[in-house]
Amino acid sequence: MEFKPRNYVAEAQSHALRRTGADLHPLSSPSPRSILRQADDHVESSNSEEFFDPLRAPNSKASAVIVDGQDLESISSGNEDSIQVQMKEWTSFKRFLMQRFPVSKMISVSSMSNTIVRSGKAYEKSSTSMHLEELDDIEKSSEEGAKAITRQEYVSRLHELKDEINRAWHAEDRVTSLKLSIKVARLLMDTSVSNFYPTLFVLATDVLDMLGDMVWERIRQKAEFAEDGTKLCSLPENFGASDVCVDAKETCYNWFCKVGSIRELLPRIYLELAILPCWRFLIEQPAESLQRLVMMTRGLADPLASAYCRLYIAYRALKFPMYDTGSLITCVNDIKLVFTRISSAKETAHGCFADSKRSLVGLMEPAIEFIMKCIFNDASLRQVGQVLVELGLGRSQEELFGGSPCVSIVLHHLLKELPTDVVSSHAVDILHLIKCSNDYSYDQCLNYRLLGLRLCEQISEIGTVDAVVNEVMQVVSQYGLDEYLKVVEAYLDILLQNQMDGQLKTILEGILKLACGKVIAEDELAGLQSILVKLLSHFKDLENVFSLNHFLQILDLMHGSSRSIVSMHILDMATRNGYVRDPTTIQLLFEISQALHDDTDLANMKNDDNQQQARLISLFVRMVDHGAEYEGHLAFLVECRGAFGSIIELKEFLVHSSNCLATKALKDGKTHLSFVKSCIAFSEVTIPSILGHIKQLHLYLETAEVALLGGLVSHCDGLIDSAISCLQSFDWMEGSRVAVDSDRILSFIRKLCSLLVMVPGNPEVGILHIPKSILSLIHSQSWSPRMKARIFCAIVSLSATLSQGRLPYHAVHPEILGNDLLFFGDSSYVHELLSLTESVLQNLVGLIEQEPSQAARGSMSLEACNCIASSFKLNEHVLPICSKLIETAKLCLSPNDKYLMSTISFLDKNLPIAAVSPAIAI
Amino acid sequence: MCLNTIDLVHAIEIKAMPTRIELKLSRPNSIYHPSAVEIEAMPTRIELKLSRPNRIYRPSEPLQGKIVVKSASSISHYGIRMALNGSVNLQVRGGSAGVIESFYGVVKPITILSKSLDIKPSGKIVSGTTEIPFSIILRNSKEDNLERFYETFHGTNISIQYLATVDIMRGYLHKPLSAIVEFIVESDRADLLDQPIPPEIVIFYITQDTQRHPILPELKSGGFRIIGRISTQRSMLEPLSGELTVEASAIPICSIDIHLLRVESILLGEKIVTETSLIQTTQVADGDVCRNMTLPIYVVLPRLLTCPTVLAGPFSIEFKVAIVISFQSELSKLHPKSDPRTPRLWTAMETLPLELVRTSAFDSNAKD
Repeated sequence: MEFKPRNYVAEAQSHALRRTGADLHPLSSPSPRSILRQADDHVESSNSEEFFDPLRAPNSKASAVIVDGQDLESISSGNEDSIQVQMKEWTSFKRFLMQRFPVSKMISVSSMSNTIVRSGKAYEKSSTSMHLEELDDIEKSSEEGAKAITRQEYVSRLHELKDEINRAWHAEDRVTSLKLSIKVARLLMDTSVSNFYPTLFVLATDVLDMLGDMVWERIRQKAEFAEDGTKLCSLPENFGASDVCVDAKETCYNWFCKVGSIRELLPRIYLELAILPCWRFLIEQPAESLQRLVMMTRGLADPLASAYCRLYIAYRALKFPMYDTGSLITCVNDIKLVFTRISSAKETAHGCFADSKRSLVGLMEPAIEFIMKCIFNDASLRQVGQVLVELGLGRSQEELFGGSPCVSIVLHHLLKELPTDVVSSHAVDILHLIKCSNDYSYDQCLNYRLLGLRLCEQISEIGTVDAVVNEVMQVVSQYGLDEYLKVVEAYLDILLQNQMDGQLKTILEGILKLACGKVIAEDELAGLQSILVKLLSHFKDLENVFSLNHFLQILDLMHGSSRSIVSMHILDMATRNGYVRDPTTIQLLFEISQALHDDTDLANMKNDDNQQQARLISLFVRMVDHGAEYEGHLAFLVECRGAFGSIIELKEFLVHSSNCLATKALKDGKTHLSFVKSCIAFSEVTIPSILGHIKQLHLYLETAEVALLGGLVSHCDGLIDSAISCLQSFDWMEGSRVAVDSDRILSFIRKLCSLLVMVPGNPEVGILHIPKSILSLIHSQSWSPRMKARIFCAIVSLSATLSQGRLPYHAVHPEILGNDLLFFGDSSYVHELLSLTESVLQNLVGLIEQEPSQAARGSMSLEACNCIASSFKLNEHVLPICSKLIETAKLCLSPNDKYLMSTISFLDKNLPIAAVSPAIAI
Repeated sequence: MCLNTIDLVHAIEIKAMPTRIELKLSRPNSIYHPSAVEIEAMPTRIELKLSRPNRIYRPSEPLQGKIVVKSASSISHYGIRMALNGSVNLQVRGGSAGVIESFYGVVKPITILSKSLDIKPSGKIVSGTTEIPFSIILRNSKEDNLERFYETFHGTNISIQYLATVDIMRGYLHKPLSAIVEFIVESDRADLLDQPIPPEIVIFYITQDTQRHPILPELKSGGFRIIGRISTQRSMLEPLSGELTVEASAIPICSIDIHLLRVESILLGEKIVTETSLIQTTQVADGDVCRNMTLPIYVVLPRLLTCPTVLAGPFSIEFKVAIVISFQSELSKLHPKSDPRTPRLWTAMETLPLELVRTSAFDSNAKD
């Protein structure tokens, strides 16, 4: 056997494509002509395909049509739209009510709620027996005392009742409907399970709303249609009592009589509210009844029941086309009185009275919130003034906030709803109002905070920034950390936008003073976080933030996730604007990253939440640039490796980075060999700690290349050895990605082979030490025959290349000689190569025979055949092998297979002319 | 033991004579059409439909409506007759009447209206649904010899009722077909005051000293003061209105209720028997309400159970309103179902007379 001599230079020239100059630089801006052509194409395509792109601007005709349609709709149903919006709001409000107050599973039901406890079947009985039963029930339950049922049972019972009412109504049994509805309303009298009350309210009002709607529809029907079904008239949207016929009025009046005869106050109010809109059929000013109902509600002494009753008033009032908010203001004023009464109540038998007061206020809060919303719905400035005067806050339209203090929870929701203009133009007055409104019902500092937040909505409009800020600063100076942070955070934007640096400094000082030497609670951390993040987002440059007094000290006081979030913001900012070069900044950021890394849960590094941290830290390390300070940068990399050990992707980057550093140093020419050595040493030490063998292999190879570049042959050998031993220790049983991994390993081995072309053989361990160890590796592993065959081919090619008089490429370093020079004319060298190759060939052929799959066997033999034909002279030793392989391929593949045909023609071309064998010519 | 023997006897009897129930159908082939069954089950139906669904008429107005006859076959008759009757029925039971009077029972009713006239002469009603309209003037101005038309009222001892009856005479072989319906009489507009009645408002004070019944010592010593005002002359169509304020109360209040009472008096021989009964209770305060907060009194007068105050010779119907304050007390729990009119140790009350007046319909009321 004999290796085929190759002239790589000539081959490269003959195979290279002919080069021609290009007219245009591919990255330069295209000429106008070509754009035109593109545009034409575009038009054509759009015409031919009639493709509708929803994002493309519609043509003018279509858009006009759409606008018209919308206009028509908005004119005809403007009122309905707003009603729908209100209904949606109410629905979401109801959901919020149900979710806000958690209820224990069991609800004790007092004697009041027989309706709930009793099974639904009783209602089918006649009214007299029902009456008797009722009497029994009351006695029974008063004997037994409270019963307990689950929340779910209660809710489903109410749903059942609703169905029952609906069914009775449609069965023309309206009296039963009404009776059951009254029972449902009566449930609201029981406030004993206070946390369940909001849910109960939602469920019960749902039933009442349904009844109200049914009554409304019935009377409307009566007004529009005669008894025999003929249409009398059609009531306009804004009809009045005069449009309604006497018959309908009679029915309507009857309903109010029935409802009015309910003995208990609370169900009577609720039922009348349910059919409240029906007053429109009877009287011209239906909203007048609203005021009376508001007054009647005063008779409900239970604060919770009365608050929710007022809430229902506010909601039902929305059903009128227009109404005076005066009655709602009375509601608020009455609620204020209730609060005053609660606060003045003496300590009773209940132990934790303050607590129960607080929870009571919390339960009543949604009612105030909703009523306030209704009052300020689309209120004009003048109306706002009116409202404030009526609420007893303002003295006149001019002096909106001159009056007396207000219950703080009411003030809170008022402040929430006031128009922004009013807030910003009366900021100082409102501050004074908050100052004098300090009671148990709401935390005063939250009102200060809310004012700040409201002011931030329109910072430019605040007339008296200085006065406001000074006032606030004075207020917060009395506070503890928690309150301090809550208030200050709200005003921070105002300070920042108005460049009030002095005040900012004071605030940071204040925070530091309060936070020093104490364990910072969770809430306070959140406050600190928010403040620091606001500062960060305000300043464009990180250095400005770091130069703020106390910023870093405050950051140091923080811990936990809040600190991590601030750190992440800082890192994000640092890496957003290009490289980080300032040494102090690098040091600071490094410390921040270190703290962030330490705070992050190491065990859950794979957790998605922590990906962000890891990403930001890696990004920071990447963005650090020490310029020509190579040693400094390497030292930084060493520090990073120590500090961020658990970030895998970062370690990989560190190896790349140190390799890159070594390469840079080498390119600079100042050959600091010791520096390059330390870089390589760094890499070599780092690689084993990286998870994933494939990554390690490639990094070893990369480092070996760098070593070769630096002329460090022994290092290079060592690295290759480590790579191979790494490959040996590869655990094939791990994971299921064997197929993917085997491809990668194959490509790694091929890459290694191509590197070996440059690496000078080491006679001490044997010049073919490395290929041999690869071969022994093949034997020891249970790789697929296909993969093994390919590796064999790679080794055959490597040997053939190494045997050449001139190698295709050489190491860049001048001191490294290739094998072509080292072993020039050394016959024992070629002999060794040949003997290795022969044994490989034998193995290869044997391996192909073993391959069970026909198709695979065929292509494997063709691959081997190609490899052999390009590596050896096709003489009498080689030809039989090739023909055998071709035979195998022919057996396995179809005769028309392109690969087969091209391989045969390749063999033909390479045959020595004299020795054309007819066997192959076929 | 005794019961057991009787049971035994029954059982023996049942055994001796096993009962058999047999259902025999009219047609031997047992084939029926659904509609045919219905018609055979309900041969002829007669219904009296008044023109107004609320059935309210004034004496000067004609009572209008139609007689609806649904029949499977044609009916021949000797005439269709309609009768209108109105009377005051007086009955004495319980109340302040003695044992003898109770036995004496029903006092002779006072007839207000008794009219009978032919709607149709004898003839035939064809099968299917036939509607026969009618219109009868209630009060004939010429024959004004009878009682005045009191408004419909249903009380405990006194009831004033107007009935319209229709009869189809079918000779002796057939049962006469008849239907009866009550109609409601309200006073004539012409008789009423056009002007809204002058507001007659009474101011009341309820304190521990105004109580005519014994009250709890702690109530007496702690003291309470509820003031308010209420209209004591009221149009039938308007709610009873007023307001009250709890100025002070040492003991927490449990409930404040307005009781609407009716006072029915009947002249029985030389004696007047009076019965006071509760018509309706309306709660105005539930629980210990805020002091010095004005609470509205708003009581919708129940229909039919009230009528304009009547002071006739043989009888009278009057009304009263009682404001009852119940205080929180352990004692009240011992009497959960007591008559609300009975004065109790833990209640305070004030009763005021109430005059109900009929004014013009609510159309005109709504305007002022």
